[in-house]
Amino acid sequence: MRLATGILIATATLAGAAPPVPHASPNASVDPGIIGKAPITSWPTFNGDYSGRRYSTLTQIAPSNVRHLTQQWVYKITDVGAQRGAPVPIIKCTPLLVGGILYITIPDHIWALNARTGNPIWHYDWVDHGGHLVGQRGVGIWKTTLFFQTPDNWLIALNANTGQELWKKNYADARKQYFSTSAPLIVKNHVIIGVGGDAMDMPGFLDSFDPITGNLQWTWWSTPRKGDPALTTWPNEPASEHGGGMTWMPGTYDPALNLLYWPTGNTNPVFAGQGRPGANLWTESIVALDADTGELKWYFQVSPHDTHDFDNTTAPILFDRVVSGKPRKLLAQAARNGFFVTLDRVTGKYLVVKPYVPLDYSSGLSPQGEPIPIPDKDPTVGGSINIVNATNWQAPAYNPNTGLVYVNSVEGKAIYYLTDDSDQPSGYGGTGEGIGPSERVLQAIDPLTGKAVWRHVYPNLNNAPTTLGPSILTTATNLLITGDDQKNAIIFSADKGQILWHHELGANESGGIITYLLDGKQYIVFGAGDSLYAWSLPQ
Amino acid sequence: MRYPVVRALLAGAVVILAEIAISQQLPNGAQPASQSTTPDQRAAATRTFLGLGPEPDKVAAARGAPLYQQNCAFCHGPQARGATGASLITSDEVLKDDHGEHLAEFLKMGRPEKGMPAFATMPEDQLKDIAEFVHVQVEEVANRGAYHVLNILVGNEERGREYVSSHCVSCHAPGAFAHIGSRFRLPEQLQRGWIWPIRSTNESLALTATVKTPEGATLTGRVTQISDFRITLIDHTGQTHIVDRTPGVQVEMQDPLAAHHQIIQSLTNEDMHNVTAYLETLQ
Repeated sequence: MRLATGILIATATLAGAAPPVPHASPNASVDPGIIGKAPITSWPTFNGDYSGRRYSTLTQIAPSNVRHLTQQWVYKITDVGAQRGAPVPIIKCTPLLVGGILYITIPDHIWALNARTGNPIWHYDWVDHGGHLVGQRGVGIWKTTLFFQTPDNWLIALNANTGQELWKKNYADARKQYFSTSAPLIVKNHVIIGVGGDAMDMPGFLDSFDPITGNLQWTWWSTPRKGDPALTTWPNEPASEHGGGMTWMPGTYDPALNLLYWPTGNTNPVFAGQGRPGANLWTESIVALDADTGELKWYFQVSPHDTHDFDNTTAPILFDRVVSGKPRKLLAQAARNGFFVTLDRVTGKYLVVKPYVPLDYSSGLSPQGEPIPIPDKDPTVGGSINIVNATNWQAPAYNPNTGLVYVNSVEGKAIYYLTDDSDQPSGYGGTGEGIGPSERVLQAIDPLTGKAVWRHVYPNLNNAPTTLGPSILTTATNLLITGDDQKNAIIFSADKGQILWHHELGANESGGIITYLLDGKQYIVFGAGDSLYAWSLPQ
Repeated sequence: MRYPVVRALLAGAVVILAEIAISQQLPNGAQPASQSTTPDQRAAATRTFLGLGPEPDKVAAARGAPLYQQNCAFCHGPQARGATGASLITSDEVLKDDHGEHLAEFLKMGRPEKGMPAFATMPEDQLKDIAEFVHVQVEEVANRGAYHVLNILVGNEERGREYVSSHCVSCHAPGAFAHIGSRFRLPEQLQRGWIWPIRSTNESLALTATVKTPEGATLTGRVTQISDFRITLIDHTGQTHIVDRTPGVQVEMQDPLAAHHQIIQSLTNEDMHNVTAYLETLQ
């Protein structure tokens, strides 16, 4: 049963004076032509625009006044209890803000909130039949239609103003351990969705659907099929067809080039690479695809022959710079394998490939700039020491004023064991567990050198297993908004990394941070645990 | 006691014990290997998290194993991962079955058009035992909470003894490692334990700090919490002190395991294996 219910009783709590009641009803509608412009009075995509920069041009909130930031309202999820494998609701989405309505999600649930009050307008409740309920990154919007992915791999189209279901489509089998956490990416008349799931050696893919009919427009598989030259990077076709490369985080998009940039996840079997000698394309890569056809234009494999679940899903950020006197269209990624990568996004050729955490598993770069792994660092029966994932799905950011990429990273080690030493491993085939201390570090990296211009080590004694850092937002007023894993929302100066403001919340910031103008007032909105917080300056 | 103090520089080593998050997005890392849960609990929790369906019947699977090897392994491989025939791990027929209710019927019919024989005369209970065997094969692949490490004692004991003699005696008294092998239930726990001893069970390994406030107070004690904005200490009398890290507050951390932190940065796999093999002999 799926429910979309109008909600009359406000559960939001108000701090301070009640916000003014608007005269016009909230009304969500997004012209696909404006998606991708700098977000000002809306936040209409996962990353705000298509570039993945998570940069706002708004200037109302600035270093001179951040000390006056005031909580305007909090919306706490009170109507969902423990979910399968998830004891409490945690908001891991980036909210969308369109027409005065905020959309937030957790697995199986969407809420539309009145952005002026935090009061719910409608709530959509999906009853899944399988899949992992580990996270949900948010919705996509096309005109007045909202798109939502469920744990058991249904794409749901809903009326953005009422929550009424329009159509739904199942695109993958949860029994094969496919599951979905992503936010659909809307490009022109394409609803592009990725998928997760690496327990059973299945291939990753992207699907593009028609936003009106739900008809499938194209599919791109993240491992090659019969006749493709890339098959030579696998021992055989069955290995490729079971090779992983999930697409579980939204990609970015360049409208001028009409190219999608998608990061692909870890190779399967995950830790046991002995059954799949070769580079294992296009897993662990950044791929550039034609947005209208799904055709592969170029790829850059960040972790050839991965055996450490480096799961290359961090956002590829798009930005333009003048390099050696020439304007260049660039792309940068702080990859989970510990390498910072800057590419020409027209050609895929690399400018910078450089470790941004201490690592010793690579013997150098191939002629194409791809890190060469040292086989001795592969998981073994007796154990093999290597780095932990240097980052994860939480969004990084880029500020064009500082020219820096910002990422919350982790520096630490783990012992990786091969638990399946057969010549035909399957599934994970191994295990890994952190050993010794690891540090969470906020880094500001110059994408033209790969070097950190400043670093901030977050002091902590406790384990920080999932909070590899909340996402990051940066603004034209030199703000960098993020948080630690001790429930503090923190604003740094983007150029120097000085702490300008902090506030202790009820939980760690857990999703994407957004900002927008509403009724002339700049808001900062983010989820932390089961609550969504809205901040702005007092009247 | 709460000191009204200002923001501080952090001097000395700050240590963060972060569990690894190597899995795609598992809440507690890929392999929750907490000492407080049993392997069965871990497997069950992971099965729930992954949505893997009912637990296979291992007793029935053991009965089905010889039947499978005799009748099915030639085409589907000894672990059902495929040979001349398809892998059964991701088979639709297998995955829509819970305990043989579907698979037994399927096996009776076979797939003659694809060369798979019908097992029409095999008794129903044996067909269900075969089904359980296949489900256990799926479980062993897909439920990573049920994985177990193999025999990790692959090192050279003598070389391990030499490493200990040359690297460890500057801090540890001779004889400090006597019977160390008997203090751990499993070799992998010994391996973890010597590389990074567990602080929580040994007070002498606790992180301590000295905090100086602008008012001139000096506090020393075991650190129970530290962030950019606050540090919490328990002093030798057992009193808890919470200090806001406002400007002028100086924090100096002391880590008894600093040398081990250094070791982890450069330890080779071979040295790790050798030392573990040697220490395991010290029963």
